[in-house]
Amino acid sequence: MPNARTSIWTWAFGLALLAGLLVLPQVLSFSQREIAVLLVINVLLVVSYRLMTLTGEWSLGHVVLMGVGAYASALFSKRLGVPVPVSMLLGAVTAGVAAAALSFPLFRMKGFYFLIGSFAAGEVIRLIWKYFTFPFGGPKGLKLIPGFPDIGPISFFEPEIYYYLCLVVVAISVFILYRIERSRIGLTFHAIHWQDKLAESVGVDTFRYRMLAFVLASFFAGLAGSLYAHYIGTVNPTRFDVEEMVYVLIWAIVGGTATFYGPIVGVVVLTIINDVILRSLGLDEARPMFYGAILIASVLFLPDGLESLVPKFKRMFGSAKSTPDREVAEAREAS
Amino acid sequence: MTRPILEVRDLSRHFGGLIAVNHLSFAVQPGSIHGLIGPNGAGKTTTFNVISGFYAPTHGQVIYQGRDVSGTKTARLAAVGLVRTFQGTTLFKEFPVIDNVRIGCHASARSSFMSRILGTDRAVEAAATRKAEELLDFFGLGDLRDEKASNLPHGHQRALGMAVALAADPRIILLDEPFTGMNPEETARMMALVRDVRDRGITVMLVEHDMQAIMGLCDTITVMNFGSLLTEGTPQEVRTNPQVIEAYLGSPAHAA
Amino acid sequence: MTELILQTIVNAVYAASYMSLIAVGLVLIFGVMGVINFAHGELYMAGAYTVVALYSLFDWPFFVSVAAGLVFVGVLGLVMEYALFRPLRDNPLGGLIASIGFLLILQTTAVLGFGVRMAFIKPPTQAKIEMFDGVVLTHQRLFVIVAAVVLLTVLYFFLRKTRFGWAMRACAQDKEAAALQGISLNQVSRIAMFIGAALAGVAGALTAPLVSPTPYMGHSVIVTAFIIIIVGGIGQLEGAVAAAILYAFVHTFVTTFYDGVVADIVGLVLMLLVLVIKPTGLFGAKDRA
Repeated sequence: MPNARTSIWTWAFGLALLAGLLVLPQVLSFSQREIAVLLVINVLLVVSYRLMTLTGEWSLGHVVLMGVGAYASALFSKRLGVPVPVSMLLGAVTAGVAAAALSFPLFRMKGFYFLIGSFAAGEVIRLIWKYFTFPFGGPKGLKLIPGFPDIGPISFFEPEIYYYLCLVVVAISVFILYRIERSRIGLTFHAIHWQDKLAESVGVDTFRYRMLAFVLASFFAGLAGSLYAHYIGTVNPTRFDVEEMVYVLIWAIVGGTATFYGPIVGVVVLTIINDVILRSLGLDEARPMFYGAILIASVLFLPDGLESLVPKFKRMFGSAKSTPDREVAEAREAS
Repeated sequence: MTRPILEVRDLSRHFGGLIAVNHLSFAVQPGSIHGLIGPNGAGKTTTFNVISGFYAPTHGQVIYQGRDVSGTKTARLAAVGLVRTFQGTTLFKEFPVIDNVRIGCHASARSSFMSRILGTDRAVEAAATRKAEELLDFFGLGDLRDEKASNLPHGHQRALGMAVALAADPRIILLDEPFTGMNPEETARMMALVRDVRDRGITVMLVEHDMQAIMGLCDTITVMNFGSLLTEGTPQEVRTNPQVIEAYLGSPAHAA
Repeated sequence: MTELILQTIVNAVYAASYMSLIAVGLVLIFGVMGVINFAHGELYMAGAYTVVALYSLFDWPFFVSVAAGLVFVGVLGLVMEYALFRPLRDNPLGGLIASIGFLLILQTTAVLGFGVRMAFIKPPTQAKIEMFDGVVLTHQRLFVIVAAVVLLTVLYFFLRKTRFGWAMRACAQDKEAAALQGISLNQVSRIAMFIGAALAGVAGALTAPLVSPTPYMGHSVIVTAFIIIIVGGIGQLEGAVAAAILYAFVHTFVTTFYDGVVADIVGLVLMLLVLVIKPTGLFGAKDRA
């Protein structure tokens, strides 16, 4: 259970993080700001993915559902004239509805088969986008997607302003996802993951909860897709294919699956390594090779994920000062 | 006579060509401790699994509180008060003891989605935690509240399994071989716990091999053999029934 | 019309040939080692580029280049087994990530070595067989068909008649029991990985003159291979061959008579149907009750 002293550290860290995030665009170059926008969107993508994995279901269709949100928001705003903020939400809802519909065939499969089934369902959707030039634009996709409208004097055209928009939306979304995981809903997800028969025996409808996890995760993936579509201005089927899905898997697994923040650490660290460090070293064509080598090294030497480094950092900082945590623990043991 | 809380009528369950349960009928009186026994392969486990919703009957009915619940799934049965436990130690091994029971409180800790996110479900959750703590005390596990479930000794894990089931507010609880692998001391403790559960007003039905426990606990015993009903009666009647003895030991002529 | 159908059948047989080599390789690795080799498509690509290098650039004889490709890619498989899959035996998700990392390394090596554009290789022979009705089968395609039949037959006998093959089948069924019988899991994994990789490599080497190799050619191959092994049944080698034939025929016919994208959709729908109706695959064990 968290005690008062840990809370203060958490608050301090949280505030420092918040300050850093707010100031960030000012210290970055233009292209780095673009990376920052996409990074914030990807944080939402990977945190929403984590929600699904809580029930033990590893889907390979998550990025496609992001695409469903992206395409839906683009079509609502471009073809039907819906205002962009509304179409973004509609995009998220569409992704949720798609997930609800897919739940029925997909949750008849468990584990490995669900993985492959979700991949197949995602590919079918992507191929539908590729095939139907009306209304999805075929292989070329949709272009000239309207951007986020001005609010008074604030224009969202520049990356740094759009970054703040994404930061607000993603922060709220991540908060909601955090609250879900910490609540009884999250507890029930874990229960279904480890012992679904036992959960059933006390009245948990495992199908409904799996579907809930899937729909919620897809809603937020769709929201990430909407943010993406109205920033980049174009969507096409290639952008949501299995290569991109693999990145989400990598962020989640390399970051670590035991904690809420693990995948966030994964996406931030790996994006910085890939898009900032490796790029600045100028080896653009060889980047994937180094990335691949880093992936291999991380699973060989950090099998519990990057998140397992966090307690080590904490101990490093804690050992320099007196540790009331230890005193409290010792007092408890003595009683 | 009062209406039975649970009834099995002409129940059959086939697996392809194998008839595991064959036209079985019996009734469980509310507030009783009812045993279901039989030699290996008699079909007790299958019957248990049909009653608890894991399988649907091939023929026949399962009647609970006067309503036909044949083929109803386990989760729905739990929601109306028919709860089962599991053989061995099926628990949320990585969770602390208290969280195991808190999950059992699932049905009674309802709250809206919004209140879960905003944290306004605090009252409901506090009530669920209190209920879980009360159950842990009832089973003598109160001090182990924060221990990881997998760290508990075997007998305590079994008790925890019953606590989890009880958290779901059952009217009838189906115990799946609760005494397997227990030494005499653990058996005596578990027998006392089963009586305590009955004294809370919950009907108990158990499938079991341990004759001492069955004879010591049950008001009525149903005996199965080869998927069919062999006989039914009080422990005294069943214990001295020659057919029962024969079923368990083989032909009496060879006993000498 | 008959001519078109017959030609399509011939094309489908060719497609089935190289797809079954790749799929069987993947199933072998998964069946024996329990690991999903995401880099399998890149092993295929490596075989193709071996031929690009040796035959096209250094003018080695074609079949020698193919043999070199087989050996080289087999050795790549050994490297993967030793460096990646063995240390990560207890960590299947980690093994998956590691194979993705290796995929990126192979792809980038090809990009750095040969460039991103398609490499065009002059086929070693332009000869064709004219079958009836103007239906044409090029010798180059015939090589692929013959190689598939020969290699898969040899593999079949290897698995059924030799000691190593028996050991591999034992490991695929039950690793612990196999280990108790004194079978060296490391040795069996090495053999499975070599064979599995070599099959993919030889498929790449032989088809190199027929497709235009690019560093990214492995991508579509791996997707198709997964579909095939799901439809055939995970761990079922005969199933993989049968499913490869089925898939090749369906895909080739739909592409010829309708559209390539539609063919992809049909293939996926087929896989989804199998997953929903009989998840263990057409040739897999019956579902438990």
